Amino acid sequence: MVAAKGDGPDLLTAGLFIGFGALGLWLARGLDQGTMAQMGAGYLPRAVCVGLILLGGVVGVAALRRDAVAIEAMRLRPLLVIVGSIVGFAYLCEHGGFIAASLWLIIAGSLADPGGRWRSTLMLAGGLTAFGALVFVYGLGVQIELWPF
Amino acid sequence: MNTFDLLMLGFSEAMTPANLGFCLIGALLGTLIGVLPGIGPTATIAVLLPITFFLPPLAGIIMLAGIYYGAQYGGSTTAILVNLPGEASAVVTALDGYQMAQQGRAGSALAVAALGSFFAGTVATFGIAIAGPMLSSFALNFGPAEYVALMVFGLLAATILASGPVLKAIGMILIGLLLGMVGTDQASGAERLTFGSLQLFDGIEFTVIAIGLFGFSEIIANLERSGSEGVKLAPMSRMWPTREDFRSSWPAVLRGTGIGTFLGILPGGGATLASFSAYSLEKKVSKHPKKFGTGVVEGVAAPESANNAAAQSSFIPLLTLGIPSNNMMAMMLSAFMIHGITPGPTVLTNQPEIFWGLVASMWIGNALLVFINMPLIGLWVKLLTVPYRLLYPAILLFCCVGVYSMNNRIFDVLLAAGFGLLGYAFRKAKCEPGPLLLGFVLGPLLEANLRRTLLIEQGDPSIFVERPISLTMLTATVILLALMILPSFRKKREEAFQEEEA
Repeated sequence: MVAAKGDGPDLLTAGLFIGFGALGLWLARGLDQGTMAQMGAGYLPRAVCVGLILLGGVVGVAALRRDAVAIEAMRLRPLLVIVGSIVGFAYLCEHGGFIAASLWLIIAGSLADPGGRWRSTLMLAGGLTAFGALVFVYGLGVQIELWPF
Repeated sequence: MNTFDLLMLGFSEAMTPANLGFCLIGALLGTLIGVLPGIGPTATIAVLLPITFFLPPLAGIIMLAGIYYGAQYGGSTTAILVNLPGEASAVVTALDGYQMAQQGRAGSALAVAALGSFFAGTVATFGIAIAGPMLSSFALNFGPAEYVALMVFGLLAATILASGPVLKAIGMILIGLLLGMVGTDQASGAERLTFGSLQLFDGIEFTVIAIGLFGFSEIIANLERSGSEGVKLAPMSRMWPTREDFRSSWPAVLRGTGIGTFLGILPGGGATLASFSAYSLEKKVSKHPKKFGTGVVEGVAAPESANNAAAQSSFIPLLTLGIPSNNMMAMMLSAFMIHGITPGPTVLTNQPEIFWGLVASMWIGNALLVFINMPLIGLWVKLLTVPYRLLYPAILLFCCVGVYSMNNRIFDVLLAAGFGLLGYAFRKAKCEPGPLLLGFVLGPLLEANLRRTLLIEQGDPSIFVERPISLTMLTATVILLALMILPSFRKKREEAFQEEEA
């Protein structure tokens, strides 16, 4: 019986490093390389990307040799709800004004935690939206329309 | 002008009602987030960075600095009273502080922590006042080659002194450097790594990355860890330490201040490293090391003085050389940049009121913290009972509005959400995002200086070993790296960090 191998978090690290390196190299493909004395725009990005890929390789190979370690379990609810509420906020800011965007952000965002009560969530949303409108839009002059019209 | 005149100039700047007010706001806000677990000073400053844009430069910087050292105070309060370190730097304080509180000596522990911090803050402030002008006149002779060597040393030393695997930290720095290259190349005007997107031509905004990696992903991670345990308050008692407590804590305060001031200056150093080191030093020199962990007053005095001293002395490399030594200082660097000030040796000569005003405000802020926070301890502790469920939507809103207000662009909010996802992946991969920020802020400086050096030298890199200052720094970097490869040192480092985590 051979114990399973592969350090999960480190393999993920290796994947991220190599992924970033490869993406960078691909994006830098058309850039001028230049010489040591006259570095072009692509010289250092390429050097950094190659470094990342090498480093990712080293971390990955070392992780494969180690005993298996699982990556912490993912819980999709907070991840999806938070990201979704931020994206919705961005969309509403442009098309619905600050009041709608802020109410959406807080009400939708509150769903990330299952323990919430509707009453307290609505009160929180109202209070924070009023606070945000007063402090950010009137007080600090952040340029967002309050209402959609 | 001599140092005394300059200090007076600083105090007159810091004492204007507006600056005093922002110093107070910063210190109170810092204490607040220090008390609340789940919100760190890094995330808070990231959120508030865009707001400082609306303030005068000195006021904004004074407020942000206040948050940083205020958080050290607040973190210790909860560590002592409820065994919940609000900040990483207060973890060791909880060991003996909570035991003291259990024995009914909470007031004494809190007072020792506050007075020790105040003393340390005073010493570190004078440290900055003395070391600042010296270091910066030295740094005025730096050419591009010296700056390259200094930044390479700073970046690598930061990874080695910080906890966590070195290879991962170096990789994070590289990712940071890469992100810093996005946008228009300064030298040639070519578009780099932009996916052809117009919105990225100016590069990525620092706040976007900071709020994504620290704000958004911290909220997601906190929500994943549901089920916060109930808070049990230790009984409060007499506020003033006994004569015995004073006698045994003052040498610890002195040692903690010394070690903290020193470690704060080093790259990668800062409040957390300082408090851990001060605690282990105290344990080593103590006559009764076995008693540590059972409520020894030195175990509170030393780390609390050390983390405050370090929080302040870590401003030295930033203010004098323009090199941030940890991610908090990377935040401060970008706060300066927002106002068009590039920290470095020239600030001291061209805008002395900024440097000296900040130094003076730190001392004032420390005094304010002692006088305001001691009576307010009860209130801070009550705040602990506010559930995270009600807190995070507020943080979320501040983050979103903050990111948007930098350029009034929706794109930045979406990009920050993307960095939130990335930060989440980094957490799962057990990669610290701090070095990424350092790489990101130093990247453009490093690239510009490297290209300049090699252009002057016509592509010959031997200049880096011919200049004595640069040679010294590169040698130190190589020695540090070599030490990391040596198995015996690596084991020792791992042990040291394990001890801290235990």
